[in-house]
Amino acid sequence: MAETKESTGPPVTLIDPIEMSKLDTKFREEIHSMPNGEELSACFACSTCTAACPIANIWKYKPHQLIRMILLGMRDDVLSSDEIWLCLTCFQCQERCPQKVRVTDIFFDCKNLAAEEGKVPQNIIGLGKELLEKGQLYIVTADWEREDMDLEPEVPGLAVDPVKNILKETRTGKLVSGDK
Amino acid sequence: MGCSVPANYPNYEAAMIKVATAFDMQLEYMEGVACCGSPNLRAIDYMGWLIVNARTLAIAEKNGYDIVTPCNGCFGSLKDTHHFLKHDDDYRKKVNALLKKDGLEFKGTITPRHFVEALYNDIGIEEIRKKITKPLDGVGIAIHYGCHVLRPADVTEFRPEYLDELIQVTGASVVEYPIWKQCCGATVLPVDENLGIRLARDKLKSMKESGAEFITVVCPACGNQLDLQQLGLKESYGEEYNLPVLLYPQILGLALGMDEEEVGLSMNRVPADPILDHLTG
Repeated sequence: MAETKESTGPPVTLIDPIEMSKLDTKFREEIHSMPNGEELSACFACSTCTAACPIANIWKYKPHQLIRMILLGMRDDVLSSDEIWLCLTCFQCQERCPQKVRVTDIFFDCKNLAAEEGKVPQNIIGLGKELLEKGQLYIVTADWEREDMDLEPEVPGLAVDPVKNILKETRTGKLVSGDK
Repeated sequence: MGCSVPANYPNYEAAMIKVATAFDMQLEYMEGVACCGSPNLRAIDYMGWLIVNARTLAIAEKNGYDIVTPCNGCFGSLKDTHHFLKHDDDYRKKVNALLKKDGLEFKGTITPRHFVEALYNDIGIEEIRKKITKPLDGVGIAIHYGCHVLRPADVTEFRPEYLDELIQVTGASVVEYPIWKQCCGATVLPVDENLGIRLARDKLKSMKESGAEFITVVCPACGNQLDLQQLGLKESYGEEYNLPVLLYPQILGLALGMDEEEVGLSMNRVPADPILDHLTG
């Protein structure tokens, strides 16, 4: 039988103490009121979402912990976390949740709140800029390839101005201009 | 049609149109359609993303036609918007107030659909079977469905069986592999490129080990990721997978008797012409 090592110091399972004074008790209501956030409080931390996530092994905060952190009011920690931006948006967590918590959708809500505070990875701002200035993400560069396939060189029907005009008035406009 | 397929995959676009024509399915380019913005827009600007996609849906409603798209990104954005606005009165009112100045209104009367779902449900496997003239010889094809066509299932209403049966009707067999539900990693590339590559590698490895000879995809982002990363993995790690990635309409097109040029086979990054050796009849 393997010998158990005498442990010293705090057990490894303990998480860092939570600073109660920094908790934002309104955070759960904030998320609750956002798109698809209604089921948030049904979470009982079974961590099925974490088992379903293909990249949870590299996350400091696992999906079920992030949901718990929202419920506890750890607003700053959640909105400053890298995890919400690393989310693949593959919806495996949400799909498997036995409580029908829309986990992936809730991470989208968190990203929107982070974006409102200007906390967005630079490359994502870059994509926003692309949409704002060009009205689309992928632009035809090799039109000869299209002609090879007997397609019109320019994409029929595609309108770029509406995207520019809409996003100028919404958060994308603010984020991109704030970045300059 | 969106923006990614026309810019990066004219072979997908052309093969889809030719396949539709072969079954008398009428597809028309939608006038005034906009880029869906991708999940990245949804992440930073939910309202902007919602309005852009509600606008596209409202135009289709005005025209009275369903939207059919070959792209999981467009499909996911349009389906999600459709589902959300049908269920949320407050947001629907807000969005419609903004669409009103262009004479548009979202009512939720048309359905955004993926091309392969339209093939499956509107044409049907039996009708497709009748027109197969060059069946594949049972060669093993691994399917990468793509996250945003499968999930959330209550929103996408897409069943993996659609694509399984669409592959089987061509004579090919579907290779099952353990991580078939898993993400290709394309969405995370702007934030963490190495992670994106790792995910693609996991998928390719799982497919190869399960005996796949080819891969099929129904999304330009997944297609790009699984095809292009193979070249990178060869260069950086000396790993060779040799798994040609075909857009589904290319496979069906060949089985319907189209030649390799008609389905744009030479544009695939990992040379896809070995598929031609498996055509019979």
